[in-house]
Amino acid sequence: MDTIRRALLGQIAKLTAGAALVPLSSVASAGMNDQPPRREGDPEKRYGMLIDLRACIGCQACTVSCHIENEAPLGSFRTIVSQYEVAHEDTGDVATFMLPRLCNHCDNPPCVPVCPVQATFQREDGIVVVNNEACVGCAYCVQACPYDARFINEQTQTADKCTFCAHRLDVGLLPACVESCVGGARIIGDLRDPNSQISRMIDEHRQELMVLKPEMGTAPHVFYLGMDERFVSRPDARPAIWDVRDQKGEEVGYEFGSH
Amino acid sequence: MDKNRRNFLKGAAAAGGAATFVAGYYGPLEKMGKGLVNGTSGKPTSDRLHGNSLAPEYTIDPATGEVTLNPDQRMAFTVCYGCTTKCGVRVRIDKNEDKVLRVAGNPYHPLSSDEHLDEQTPVLDAFRRMSSFKDQGQLNRSTACARGNAAMAQLTSDQRVMTCLKRTGPRGSNQWQSISFEQLLDEIVEGGDLFGEGEVEGLRAIRDLKTPLDPENPEYGPKANQLLMMEATDYGRSALLKRFAFNAFGTRNYGHHGAYCGLAFRMGSGALMNDLAKNAHVKPDYTHARFALFIGTAPSQAGNPFKRQGRLLARARTTGELEYVVVDPALTAATSHSAGERNRWVPILPGTDTAFAMALIRWLLTNEGYAKDYLSLPGHQAAQKAGELGYSNATHLVIDEDHHPRAGHFLRMSDLGLVAEGAEDHPVVVSADGELVSSEAVDGARLFVERKVETTAGEVMVRSSLFKLRQESMRLTIEEYAEICGVDAGTMRRLAKRFASFGRAAVADTHGGMMSGAGFYASYSINMLNLLAGNFNMKGGSAKGGGSFNGVGKGPRYDLADFPGKVGPKGVFLSRSRFPYEKTSEYRRRVEAGESPYPAKAPWRAIAPPILTEHLLSGLDGYPYRIKAMIGVMANPMYGQAGLTSLLEEKLKDPANIGLFVAVDGFINETNRFADYIVPDSVMYEVWGFTGAWSGTLTKMTTACWPVVEPRQAKTAAGEPVCMDNFFIELARKLDLPGFGEGAIEGKDGRMHPLMRAEDFYLRAAANIAMTGQPLPDATEEDIVAAGVEPLMGRIKGTLAPDEVGPVAHLYSRGGRFESMEKAYAGDKLGNAWTRPLCVYNEQVGTTIDSYSGKRLTGTPMHHEPRFWDGSTLREHYPASDWPLLAFSFKSNLMNSYAIGLERLRMIKPYNPVLLHYRDAERYGVDHGDTIRIESPGGSVLALALVGDNVHEGAIGIEHGYGHRELGAASHVIDGEERPGNPYLGAGVNINDLGFSDPTRKDGTATWLENVSGASVRQGLPVRIQVVEGLTT
Repeated sequence: MDTIRRALLGQIAKLTAGAALVPLSSVASAGMNDQPPRREGDPEKRYGMLIDLRACIGCQACTVSCHIENEAPLGSFRTIVSQYEVAHEDTGDVATFMLPRLCNHCDNPPCVPVCPVQATFQREDGIVVVNNEACVGCAYCVQACPYDARFINEQTQTADKCTFCAHRLDVGLLPACVESCVGGARIIGDLRDPNSQISRMIDEHRQELMVLKPEMGTAPHVFYLGMDERFVSRPDARPAIWDVRDQKGEEVGYEFGSH
Repeated sequence: MDKNRRNFLKGAAAAGGAATFVAGYYGPLEKMGKGLVNGTSGKPTSDRLHGNSLAPEYTIDPATGEVTLNPDQRMAFTVCYGCTTKCGVRVRIDKNEDKVLRVAGNPYHPLSSDEHLDEQTPVLDAFRRMSSFKDQGQLNRSTACARGNAAMAQLTSDQRVMTCLKRTGPRGSNQWQSISFEQLLDEIVEGGDLFGEGEVEGLRAIRDLKTPLDPENPEYGPKANQLLMMEATDYGRSALLKRFAFNAFGTRNYGHHGAYCGLAFRMGSGALMNDLAKNAHVKPDYTHARFALFIGTAPSQAGNPFKRQGRLLARARTTGELEYVVVDPALTAATSHSAGERNRWVPILPGTDTAFAMALIRWLLTNEGYAKDYLSLPGHQAAQKAGELGYSNATHLVIDEDHHPRAGHFLRMSDLGLVAEGAEDHPVVVSADGELVSSEAVDGARLFVERKVETTAGEVMVRSSLFKLRQESMRLTIEEYAEICGVDAGTMRRLAKRFASFGRAAVADTHGGMMSGAGFYASYSINMLNLLAGNFNMKGGSAKGGGSFNGVGKGPRYDLADFPGKVGPKGVFLSRSRFPYEKTSEYRRRVEAGESPYPAKAPWRAIAPPILTEHLLSGLDGYPYRIKAMIGVMANPMYGQAGLTSLLEEKLKDPANIGLFVAVDGFINETNRFADYIVPDSVMYEVWGFTGAWSGTLTKMTTACWPVVEPRQAKTAAGEPVCMDNFFIELARKLDLPGFGEGAIEGKDGRMHPLMRAEDFYLRAAANIAMTGQPLPDATEEDIVAAGVEPLMGRIKGTLAPDEVGPVAHLYSRGGRFESMEKAYAGDKLGNAWTRPLCVYNEQVGTTIDSYSGKRLTGTPMHHEPRFWDGSTLREHYPASDWPLLAFSFKSNLMNSYAIGLERLRMIKPYNPVLLHYRDAERYGVDHGDTIRIESPGGSVLALALVGDNVHEGAIGIEHGYGHRELGAASHVIDGEERPGNPYLGAGVNINDLGFSDPTRKDGTATWLENVSGASVRQGLPVRIQVVEGLTT
């Protein structure tokens, strides 16, 4: 197994509701830290996603529908669900933990300022996008993202990532992953609309919500409900085995891409 | 934070390629600097920001919600073939390229939707309700799963069979030539020296309805029975296949995948539900159940109906009131850590579920943990009075001594000489004051009875059904049951108590995990928990469901059941099922010769349905008789039946054993690679048909499928696609069979209609469904456009009567016919009830003779060890000292038995490492990631060990769907050109390669099958493991 395959998922930390949501009211389109001003998109909206992990069944419908909708190359993912085996410290009971992952559309996205040609930018509605016509494929943004949410698309040679399916949101449709979510775990919506489903759920579960790696100061806008805070601090997980073997036991490698 | 939430991360990213997500930036870094100053060296995207994402199928006005369709695309509703759930889907199609872009759920469809929309909802309204307008589309979703999304790759797969193929080398040599459909028909009908290997008898000669195939054994039926039909399962087209097989050609022999899928479960359920003819089953009413035990099934991991169960389970544990326990050898996605205390996994040893269930039954019966009032209802009248929708035979008395001529039957009024002329002969029960009375004469009866009764045939011991069940359950103590199944006795007591505490809102659910050497009684005993809880037909209990609309019977518009010249198939099934051995000529001869008729030469299973697990080897070995030809439709028993390949392969290769093997399939699989001819079939989205609902779907429904894109394979000379339907139609016409061709279908008005093309059949079935009861309204023009039915309208108008056109268009514009949600419940009961008396004791089972021992089967659930045909146990032949571990399979949440060709699933889960408990790993010196050899008495496989706490100690878990040799894994030469196989499709292991033959079958050529049902045994195969050096990473 090479080191990449041994790599861990992003670390996770509990985020108090206050820390998660304070930036919403204050940041808007103003530059934060060294963030360039936001442009394009609907300034009246701020999109976010809430993932109710209690309802996630780990079926990967989101993964595949996103892959088709956005024509990602085989072996590259804008979103995926990781699955862990978790044991209870006291009882020894073992259960499955699902973690859907995607771009967090941070309020302070580290991927944006590092772009030498300003191809990657944040829309006024919070969605972080890449201008494919400007991107030079340098992959600085890929390295800057603490969530491993970006990749260089081997066909377009540009940075590729989740856009919350902005092309669908902009015309009143749901992102592919949300539309396909069998368990009903993924909820997208406008955080500025107090009546939206996501705003109502945030109100109801404010104390329980967490984000990934809050210590990075990125102010992620993908919120998790049903997250275990013990999962938070650098989980020491062994990876599942993806050394693909044929029936003679010989390693045949991963079929797609160079990883 | 609640301390119960204190957990630590134990193991691995068991699925979902965390690695590949992380690895995203690994390769591309090498390409830095290759780009230009502005823009890159890559292929330009179609949109600046949205890249190559698909154009939206429609747009919504944010103010009004008005829907504007994308003129370059169309949506259409049809069925998904991604698994056997058969969900209704909405398919998004590029009009210009006739190409499927993506699929999602059909919002009218109960298997895809949270709450399915009323079919009166206009299609554009439905589209709005799937959009983000007012969050409607996520407040009430209609989805397609990962496999359902990925499955569209079948359409464009380079592994598809596109032309009619005839083998050019020996069977199984993977060498083919393309021939015309007409040549194929001609050769298989007329026969001749087709392969230079000698004469092959054609179907015309085999179709002989008069000559007995074996004059010594006339009950075997006519020669026509020497055609065996195989099918994977009913994907909505079986009605046409069976019309050909049974009623036109006249063969008795048809088998589908059930016997190597979940038959042991289905029969155990059928025994309890008093339905061994169709083996009905139930699923929990997830929405209102308060407590559920899932034993050998893992809803949301897999199972049928997959999405519906997954969605309802997710909701019930998140915002509902359900608490549940998954009893399974493997940890699956069904146990959610995030849903905390609402659910728990209890590991169990494979193939020992009966011990678990009998322990619970014992506890419930000895602690009054059962629905006493309900079980005390002796009959129909009592149930009605009590406001119940049904009752059980708990109080009925079984004649329980072998000397009595009616041993094993219920004591009836006639046995007491008390039945009046012409009156119904009701079972006898014991009333509260101890009298023997008719079950219809009292409101309640005694539950536990054991007493002597004077009958017209003498005095005999009778016992009530519930008494007999308690007797069986008490043969072992809870501690002894615990020792067998590996679940702690205290845990079982607590679970039993918890189960009982929820009364009639506690349910037990099981499915394919029952395919063990004790599967029939395991399933019967698990289902018994529902009966003891009295939860049948209760809101929050066990639901049979609403069933489906039948379009292929004697419908309101067209009679698709009967036709002039219709044949009724006759004779003994090749699988020796549904026919008692005691009625055979062979039995009579042996008795006449003065010898013991037992054991029979091979199992005769009087209560099992026709089973493909016996058909093939029986037909090739010639007991009860030989087959001469075989037609398989999408069937793949050599991948699916444990141990079959090694027994069958050489026999099947020899044309002397079977002259003709024709396969109808879109792909070459592990079985049809041995075919003589392959007829290219349409694949999903190109097919016609009507599929029904899985049990537990509370409302009545039928899914309509039609070719929403043009089939891509070869066409007949008449210009119709070569596919399963047109193959049977043309074959029947060439054979001059009844029921096909001109004048084959009678209309209600007495006029005869042709059956020349697939739509002649399916559109008339559509008319029957649309016109059933209150006919569907006419579709509006807007519906027809929005639901993409325009391309179909010409064929509807050209085939049907004018008044049928509008309703049939309505049916296709909704993707079927669906009862509305409000029919799901009636007060505290389910809207659709199962009203047959439920069986604590099944009289049919209890009077069936085992063809080995000559003894009656036990009519209630009972515990026995996994066993072979002669009754000897697994461990008598394969002791734990030699074979210390038990292998089992579990369904994948991504892959299925035929999905390996779907690259979007392979990219997420390319391989199936086997689950090994960490203590077993220590014991055998295995490290996480080691290559191990798993050896069984029938074969060995190499696998990687995924070591963890994710499986019961002593068990080895194999995720099903990998280890293929075909479906694209192997190379084939077609018309002299090599079509190379993809080795990645052959990755991993298949549990069925560890299957083995029953050492006690005298015929010596049978795989291990469960005795009562004939179901293939794959749960609890004895194995041993060792690390393979040199391959370890």
